[in-house]
Amino acid sequence: MAFSLTWLPDVLVNAGLKVAESPGWETRGHGDMGNVLGVLCHHTATPGKNSGNMPTLNTLITGRPDLPGPLSQLGLGRDGTYYIVAAGKCYHAGAGLWRGITSGNSNLIGIEAENTGGRDDSPWPAVQMDAYHRGVAAILQHIGKSADFCAGHKEYALPVGRKSDPDFDMDVFRAAVTDILNGAAPAPVLIPVVTPATPTQPARATLRRGLPNDPALVKIVQTKLGLTADGDFGPNTEAAVRAFQSQHGAVPDGIVGPQTWLMIDP
Amino acid sequence: MFGSNILEIAIGIIFVFILVSTICTAIREGIEAKLKTRAAYLEQGIRQLLHDTDGTGLAKALYEHPLIYGLFNGGYTAGKQNKSPDLLAKGSNLPSYIPSKTFAAALMDIAAQGVTTNATDATTGAPVITLDAIRKNVTEMQNPEIRRVLLYAIDTAKGDLNKAQANIEDWYNSGMDRVSGWYKRSTQWVILWIALVVTIALNVNTIKIVKYLAKNDTQRKMLVASAEAAAKDTSKQIGYQAAQTQLDAQNLPIGWDNDCLTSAKMDPAAPNSFWNTFMGPLLGWLITAFAATLGAPFWFDMLNKVMVVRSTIKPNEKSGEGAPKDSQTPQVITINTNPPPTGGGGGITDATADQNPPPPPDPPAPGDTEPDGCGVTSTDLTGDQGLPESKGGMI
Repeated sequence: MAFSLTWLPDVLVNAGLKVAESPGWETRGHGDMGNVLGVLCHHTATPGKNSGNMPTLNTLITGRPDLPGPLSQLGLGRDGTYYIVAAGKCYHAGAGLWRGITSGNSNLIGIEAENTGGRDDSPWPAVQMDAYHRGVAAILQHIGKSADFCAGHKEYALPVGRKSDPDFDMDVFRAAVTDILNGAAPAPVLIPVVTPATPTQPARATLRRGLPNDPALVKIVQTKLGLTADGDFGPNTEAAVRAFQSQHGAVPDGIVGPQTWLMIDP
Repeated sequence: MFGSNILEIAIGIIFVFILVSTICTAIREGIEAKLKTRAAYLEQGIRQLLHDTDGTGLAKALYEHPLIYGLFNGGYTAGKQNKSPDLLAKGSNLPSYIPSKTFAAALMDIAAQGVTTNATDATTGAPVITLDAIRKNVTEMQNPEIRRVLLYAIDTAKGDLNKAQANIEDWYNSGMDRVSGWYKRSTQWVILWIALVVTIALNVNTIKIVKYLAKNDTQRKMLVASAEAAAKDTSKQIGYQAAQTQLDAQNLPIGWDNDCLTSAKMDPAAPNSFWNTFMGPLLGWLITAFAATLGAPFWFDMLNKVMVVRSTIKPNEKSGEGAPKDSQTPQVITINTNPPPTGGGGGITDATADQNPPPPPDPPAPGDTEPDGCGVTSTDLTGDQGLPESKGGMI
């Protein structure tokens, strides 16, 4: 039977965010959660800034030898995609205290954002931080709480100083979440489905894994990236697009939208 | 909270100063051990005291007197004849300290034996030391200034040999105060230079640390906890090693990265500007260096004073002396989490508390140890190919 947090993907998609569901997430969890009272923010501290979009995902799902997964409900990739890991209770909080909440695993939704936590990965990618703000705001809005009920792991964890994540200022974070909750923030930037025609190119649809992509367009991309041009936008093509995007300083989301079209085939 | 935060930042900064000045002092000690500047200062002080500027007469006789000759290895050679010694004068093997009693005894013995008498022929017909004999010898001394000093000391002693010795000791001590003054001034200069080097080598920028502590609650509280522990340590002694480890452990924005320019900048993210890349770091380093010049003891006292002020502001901390409390206990957070039931004063207003009563948090289930999997070292990394398909985020 599915656990109670099945609303997570819809809430996040409605906030204009990219969401990816890991297979089997609905029934994953150490039992069901208690009352959902807030959100606990983490970073993964997995080393290697260029190790991928969400290298910690498998660990979040399966855990480690001494502690079985899931280790958090949500993972946040470097491109701002939310990976839904579990709908039940996850082991992410440990001992701590925030606004009277002492049972963080039962009462707080854990978000593990991919970041090394070191200087090499600071500042965070703007798209990821924006998605962090918007995702937390969407969840808090859904459970009817203010930004006060979003804590950093470093603020929650006891004894003080036990944890250092996340490595950004939580007061600034909460201020940004409050702005979104109050409608004071600009609308989220969405990726257009069509790239307008240019003098040299016709209008082209945005390509993305999982969409009914035009095989002819996919083949163009695959040829440009040096892949086998089979016209199927699958995981390998997506990974190649991500690599291309990060080489060219774009958001490595694996989606061939207007910006990526311009870079890949101007 | 305002006052408390400011105080905590002050405590944090003072603690950093203590650590930096400890490191500087340790380096200064090392240099002193090598050069023995104090000995050079003492030698010059004694030459001036004895009005023997070229170090061939009374000063030489004093240093070669058996009572003092035993305090150092090798022989006595007069130092340079400056008005005041160099910052890093070499004291070779001369003693750094001569006790006032030894000095007085040696001087009186020299006076009793006569200046020309040296240690070797003191055996022949050695006269019994009495004030009268000394006075007679002193009147024949070639050194008129010392003659006056000694005659004054002997005459005011009214026949008491011990009193005369005490008079000479007083005179010597006042001369030594001057030597200490010189030495202190020179040490401060040397430490200033050391501090400048240490500060820049470690990139300890006070302005940057203040900014960082003001923004970063957790780090500030951790730093204050360390400072409290240090203040409670009554020995007030931190070794070089301990100071360095502590400084490393604080996780402060100090030190250098591979990219030197970025780590020196006030705000690594901000573009280059006169303040950000040049003036800010320079000013920050200078502040740290000057602060370190004041020395660790000064900052220890300051730390204790600020702690007292803080405990008057935060009464719950004061009780710490009666009932031993873990300094790590997060007082501030405890206040946060226990909002007063209804309109009770002294708590922090909880924005949501007055909107609607929140559902009670779940009590920890029995046997639920609240595991914490955050920060787990990932064993099998997920490559981009292994990521699930995403949706949303498009128009």
